[in-house]
Amino acid sequence: MTLDKAGVSRRKFLKTSAAAAGAAAGSGVIGAPMIWAQNIRDITLSWTGPSFSVIADIAQKASEDLGFTITTQVMESVNLMPRVVNQPETLEVVDMEYWALAKVWRSGNYQTIDPKKIAEWDNITPILKDGKNFDGTDLTRQGILPYKVLYVDSADSTEFASGTTDIATTVPLIFNADTLGIRPDLIGRPVESYAELFNPEFKGKVALVNVPGTGILDAANAFEALGEITYADKGNMTRDEIDFTINRLIELKRDGQFRAFWVSFDESVNLMASGEVVIQSMWAPAVTAVKARGIPCVYQGMKEGYRAWGDGTGIMKHLSGLKLDAAYEFMNWQLSGWQGGFIGRQGYYSSTPQNARNFMTDNEWGYWYEGKPATEEIVDPYGTVMDQVGAVRDGGSFEDRIGNISVFNTVMDEERYMVQRWNEFISA
Amino acid sequence: MAQGQKRGPGFYLLAAFFTLFVIFLYGPMLMIFILSFQGTTGGLTLPMRGVSVHWFGDLLTSTRYGDLGGGLTRSILLGLLALVLTTVISLFAGLAFRRRFVGAGPLFYLSIISLVVPGILLGLGISQMFQLLGLRLSWLTSGLVAHLTWTLPFGLLIMFAVLNRFDTSWEEAARDAGARAWATLRLVTIPILFPGLIAVALFGFTLSYDEMPRTLLTVGGKNTLPIEISNMTMTVTTPALYAIGTLTSALSFAVIAISFISIAVIQKRRERRAED
Amino acid sequence: MSGRSSGGGTRLVPYLQVAPLALFTIAFVGIPIMTLLALSFWQTDGISIYREFTLENYRELFTSGLTYRLFYTTIKFALITLVATTIIGFTCSYFLVFHVRSLKWQIALLLVCTIPFWTSNVIRMISWIPFLGREGLFNRAIMSMGLTSEPLDFLLYSQFSVVLTYIHLYTLFMIVPIFNSMAKINPNIIEAARDAGASGWQILTTIIIPLSRTGIALGAIFVVTLVMGDFFVARVMSGGQAASVVSAMKNQIDNLFYPQAAAMAILLIVVVALLVSAILRVVDIRSELAK
Repeated sequence: MTLDKAGVSRRKFLKTSAAAAGAAAGSGVIGAPMIWAQNIRDITLSWTGPSFSVIADIAQKASEDLGFTITTQVMESVNLMPRVVNQPETLEVVDMEYWALAKVWRSGNYQTIDPKKIAEWDNITPILKDGKNFDGTDLTRQGILPYKVLYVDSADSTEFASGTTDIATTVPLIFNADTLGIRPDLIGRPVESYAELFNPEFKGKVALVNVPGTGILDAANAFEALGEITYADKGNMTRDEIDFTINRLIELKRDGQFRAFWVSFDESVNLMASGEVVIQSMWAPAVTAVKARGIPCVYQGMKEGYRAWGDGTGIMKHLSGLKLDAAYEFMNWQLSGWQGGFIGRQGYYSSTPQNARNFMTDNEWGYWYEGKPATEEIVDPYGTVMDQVGAVRDGGSFEDRIGNISVFNTVMDEERYMVQRWNEFISA
Repeated sequence: MAQGQKRGPGFYLLAAFFTLFVIFLYGPMLMIFILSFQGTTGGLTLPMRGVSVHWFGDLLTSTRYGDLGGGLTRSILLGLLALVLTTVISLFAGLAFRRRFVGAGPLFYLSIISLVVPGILLGLGISQMFQLLGLRLSWLTSGLVAHLTWTLPFGLLIMFAVLNRFDTSWEEAARDAGARAWATLRLVTIPILFPGLIAVALFGFTLSYDEMPRTLLTVGGKNTLPIEISNMTMTVTTPALYAIGTLTSALSFAVIAISFISIAVIQKRRERRAED
Repeated sequence: MSGRSSGGGTRLVPYLQVAPLALFTIAFVGIPIMTLLALSFWQTDGISIYREFTLENYRELFTSGLTYRLFYTTIKFALITLVATTIIGFTCSYFLVFHVRSLKWQIALLLVCTIPFWTSNVIRMISWIPFLGREGLFNRAIMSMGLTSEPLDFLLYSQFSVVLTYIHLYTLFMIVPIFNSMAKINPNIIEAARDAGASGWQILTTIIIPLSRTGIALGAIFVVTLVMGDFFVARVMSGGQAASVVSAMKNQIDNLFYPQAAAMAILLIVVVALLVSAILRVVDIRSELAK
């Protein structure tokens, strides 16, 4: 895509591209026969998943383009997991984070996906599809990288395959690289290492996320940066490593290092915006929300690397016939670019970035993916101004951020023990 | 009671205490109210960045807030169903508990357990039962059941307070006068208990309207308002969150004002008819 | 039905009256609780539950110092909240019953206390944050008055803010039952006592408190069970710094470790049942019905 789109207004451009995509979907490009084109109109497909992934506007656009109705139900991963395990019949198409998928796949309630029926499968970024970095080397294997849980050997296998196969668990959709958020104005000097999290300078002004599997990774990054320990795999710690990490955290807590442990997104925003905390675990949109209020906040990339995560779309086992066809239609549509552009404007990466690019302006693509200064105001999909002209995305380009992943969000073998010890830390 | 007496210092002292309590109750609501009129660049905390009704408009027009209208409708419907069922079932159960019957003790403790068992586990249990029975989970069936496991114990215990030292001689008098059981209930018992029944009804509605942990796994494919709001706090950190609070409270006040006025009007009419 | 029910009929009446509640509660509380009990003796690997009997969940529970700490904190919260809500609830009810004369006004004022509960609890709770925070309204006010130069940290994300929120959310559950039992006190008794020369204090301690004890006991049951069963307030208002029993359980539930969570839930139920029976030992609620 090197076309110069400078002369085309974004709205007009979006319209034409969308029409093109719609036409492509309708004409059976993705291998779906036209015979059922009439009765598929009566289909209603339910789409459930976390709030960053399952978005009403996307469902509406997809319904328009595809000709059948897609309904949404937003449900965060921890509430979605028991639904998948215990009530699969209430779900149809499900977006789930990969660490959560690693846990619930064994329930046998998903059906596998045939990548051959996904037209854009080959265009999915190698980061997700092959577990390869931009330079072709292997990505870090610490934590649950999507590649680890993307393939199975047979349709009824409850174990994941050790390499690439032609049976997939899900279709990768969204991913991102997370790090710590800081208040540069209150810190007043450069911060570039996870070690700063436990710097006595910030005593009483530090927060961690109280989601055991994520909070412990931020802490582990910090202890490693301080040179206190080197983990074989922080994403899958041994009991001794868990004990070391939690014991040190309890000591730090007793010394008054932490101000809070947050669970919901708005808590982290309030902590940062109010100045209660100057450095903490954060999700990317929370940083944006703080900035939107005119309060300086940086999603600071650290030299130790990013903590990455991804989510993918899966289909429940009970889907068949026309509904199953509709589900494939929908997944194909998801990869075709409109959705990628939409979530791209919220700072998430699409599994098919080149398709997403068709639905982003040069300014947007430059800012979100290439780390270039904004040439116009950066506006989110709902019209809220996210950043000003000249601003650069924290952490820089797609390559800079995703090329430097230290660990993926995870679920450990010793998870039960870890959760128990984490609870001890929180209540210490 | 101070009937006929002058209001002493005690009255003013207690009135002041009560007022302070009401201020304490409404204080945070006032914050909600003020902050919902934040300017367009304002956030969830002070300071105010201008004053606007931007967030109300945003709430009503933007698609980013999910299915709030649907959630509100479902929550109100569930609340009303819970109100009716809780009041009726608790009334009869309360009347029953006035006498000794086999199993009264265990039933009482089971109700207490229903209050304290972690909602999400009870919700899980109920959803499993529905599945075993081959019933589809939905907010109106399994959701309602889950809500009743929360509202009924409250209703029952409030009935205990309402029936506390209830004078049965009225009922006996009515019965002696030849009234049938149904007539006694309708014309004697219920009117005497009426203020208490209002308390039960209010609890039934309020508790159901705000219930979340038991609902999470029993709601089926459509969310109730608390779940929608809780999802919103995951993605939305704008004062639109407070705008919902302001709108729902304004709605409650309106409903109450209307019902009070209509009750007053009905009473006036009755009095007039009685005078005729 | 007085004519016909003189025989076996009346004895059946309470069973008929209680049947809807009993059937519902047995089906939708009793059975799930029995499942929970069974679950607490089973094993899990985080997904599949193995129906093999084990005491491991309980062994883990009772050998962990965490369990005792969690129950200590939660019971402490419950008792502090209980004392505060009883004092506030009793005083407010006293005002409503003995000083507000008309029923219409009593109901209106009770409604005034109820309306805040129709705003989502989530929203109401987070609205304390701009008030109590380091840069919140309260700290700004006292700093501008020169009462302190540093903002007070203990106001938010502390045990103080947790208890304050409990009192805020649960006092209503104390007012309603106390109000209802207090309203039953015959004014003539008080009048008679006053005529006999009893002081206000004597009337309060010898007549009003004993005669409202059912309401106080019921309110106490509400408050104790609500605080013991809470996870949200303790988590949010302590800034995650203090874990309650159920918030720790929530972490296990989120990670699908149901048997461990079930074992803890059973222990919680036993502890709360003991607390409630202690309350009932002081006040026998059921014998007070319909005297």
